[in-house]
Amino acid sequence: MTHSDAASQDELATPAARRMQFIEKYGVFAVVVLMCLILSALEPDIFPTTLNLTNILRQIAMNALLALGLYIVILTAGIDLSVGSIMALATMLLAMADTSGYFPWPVALLVGPLIGIACGMVNGLGLTVLRLPHPFIMTLGTLYTLRGITNLVSAGRPISGISPEVRFLGSGEIPLPFLGEYASVPVSAFVILICYFGVSYFLRKAAIGRHIVAVGGNPQAARVSGINVDRILLIVYSLSGFFAGLAALLMAGRTGAGFPNAGIGAELDAIAAVIIGGASFFGGRGTVLGVFAGVLVMGLLRNGLNLMDVSAFWQQTFIGMIVVGAVYIDVLRRKAGTAR
Amino acid sequence: MSRRTLTGFLAVAAVIATTSTSLAEDKYALIMSSLGSANPFWGAVAQGAVDKGKELGVDVAAVGPPGGETDVAGQIALVEDQIAKGVKGIAISPADTAALVPALEQARARGVAVIFVDKRADMPGTYIGTDNIPAARMGAAHICENVPEGSEVAILQGIITGTTGQHRAQGAREGLEACGMKIVAEQPADWDAAKAQSATENIMTANPNLKAIFSSNDGMALGAVEAVRNAGKLDDMFIVGFDGNPGAAVAIIAGDLEASVAQRPYQMGQIGIESLLALAKGDTIDENIDTGAVLVTKENAEEFK
Repeated sequence: MTHSDAASQDELATPAARRMQFIEKYGVFAVVVLMCLILSALEPDIFPTTLNLTNILRQIAMNALLALGLYIVILTAGIDLSVGSIMALATMLLAMADTSGYFPWPVALLVGPLIGIACGMVNGLGLTVLRLPHPFIMTLGTLYTLRGITNLVSAGRPISGISPEVRFLGSGEIPLPFLGEYASVPVSAFVILICYFGVSYFLRKAAIGRHIVAVGGNPQAARVSGINVDRILLIVYSLSGFFAGLAALLMAGRTGAGFPNAGIGAELDAIAAVIIGGASFFGGRGTVLGVFAGVLVMGLLRNGLNLMDVSAFWQQTFIGMIVVGAVYIDVLRRKAGTAR
Repeated sequence: MSRRTLTGFLAVAAVIATTSTSLAEDKYALIMSSLGSANPFWGAVAQGAVDKGKELGVDVAAVGPPGGETDVAGQIALVEDQIAKGVKGIAISPADTAALVPALEQARARGVAVIFVDKRADMPGTYIGTDNIPAARMGAAHICENVPEGSEVAILQGIITGTTGQHRAQGAREGLEACGMKIVAEQPADWDAAKAQSATENIMTANPNLKAIFSSNDGMALGAVEAVRNAGKLDDMFIVGFDGNPGAAVAIIAGDLEASVAQRPYQMGQIGIESLLALAKGDTIDENIDTGAVLVTKENAEEFK
């Protein structure tokens, strides 16, 4: 599940380097396991229960999708700040489409992801056609603009009454009667599973996926070898938009409503998860599995602090510290890598 | 992971552990729509709820979503996590009227009592908060006590399409009519100080004998003060605002503003927890519970600064 050049270089490397590579790939999972152990010790009656563990799955679903999209973007040394706003607009428009009575539910179901792709394409075009200097600029712009459009179309008010069919992916539950009366696994967890396996396969096996990885590793080399970098970037930002639209569909399902404040600040949680998961802002590094671990770290942190009724101030403080800590570990890792 | 890092993690965990409370007490939660003590109003509600919990021998957690007022997803997670914790009841100020409904319905389906504090969601349930009609009547009564009967008075309304604006305007009108005041103007100024200032200028031009102004919030009251001051009539104009903001308290101490009607957030927290316990025990409680209001005047303005 890794990417281009780093892996092939390391095949010839020393046992120390191999150990390094192992830590790079699975180190974040050690953090996940450690967090689970600490939380189980602190809240033995609450944390390891079926209800709480499935709650974590319900709570991380949106961030998992946003982070997956951002991972693809960050793989190319890009950034997409607009995913939270894309999610809000997509949630709102799909709620409007579904409750308007003009569209059958299968159409309403597609509205979220399609709006997401459209917004992502706008980001991609801003980057490749307008030649804006950095994706930060374009997506910062759409962060504001799309939030503004969301408020304009909704007049700042939520729309409830989304149909059960449209809500299924976000609110459906598969009962697990053998684990207790209320025990169930959210359908959204399977959506996440499929998306993560899909992207992992896509980046390794599909031609476009491999080109994305190549652009991430070295855009100049990719260009020279005949890859249409602009086309790849357009696809990358459309994919990020698509996952934000899919997150919107899950959010609409979970809440039964479209609401204008959906996804405020969500881009930051997603970026944090990707970085904790071992990706680099300079592109070309990280794995899908690592991103999922990063999402879990964020989810466990929030859940654990909630269970202990730790104030929101501390939650913000801890998340900030974990992001800095994770990136610092990454810095140390690279130093060790260059020293050898 | 080195041993030192592990020790560090465990130390942090131990500190957190000591802050969490015993399992013996029944657990209840106040889920705010803001960060809590970052906002003085919610800080007071939380304090009232926690104090009442101590008094009644239950454990009350006052929590808010890490993203603040707009963090709807964070608030839904809080509801789920409090259910997992096994709380008997949740008092909530929903961050969104629609989006919290499924999570709160789920809480009720699992036997957790749910009530609303200060804001309500689009679903049935008891609402605990300030009833703006009697609160505005209280402000009007203060005008009645200080201005001769039959005087010309004006009402500055908030955004009149919302219930808060409607209720405050209605309470003020009822109160002023009840004591025989002559209401010469009722104008919306949309909660806005600048609009209130121009509205007041126009009202004074049309009614030179105006003696008192009821303003539906403090911002508009301070706008009215500016208009009256510019007209040189501040000494014989009786102005009452609403909200008990720090800025209004300062104006009251300075003598520019006569009074302001303040909500009682501490009592809101206390009554919230009291009602939640009653509901969880199976008692029937009223659909609307008024937490009352208090008049801020020169005597007590220092506390509101």
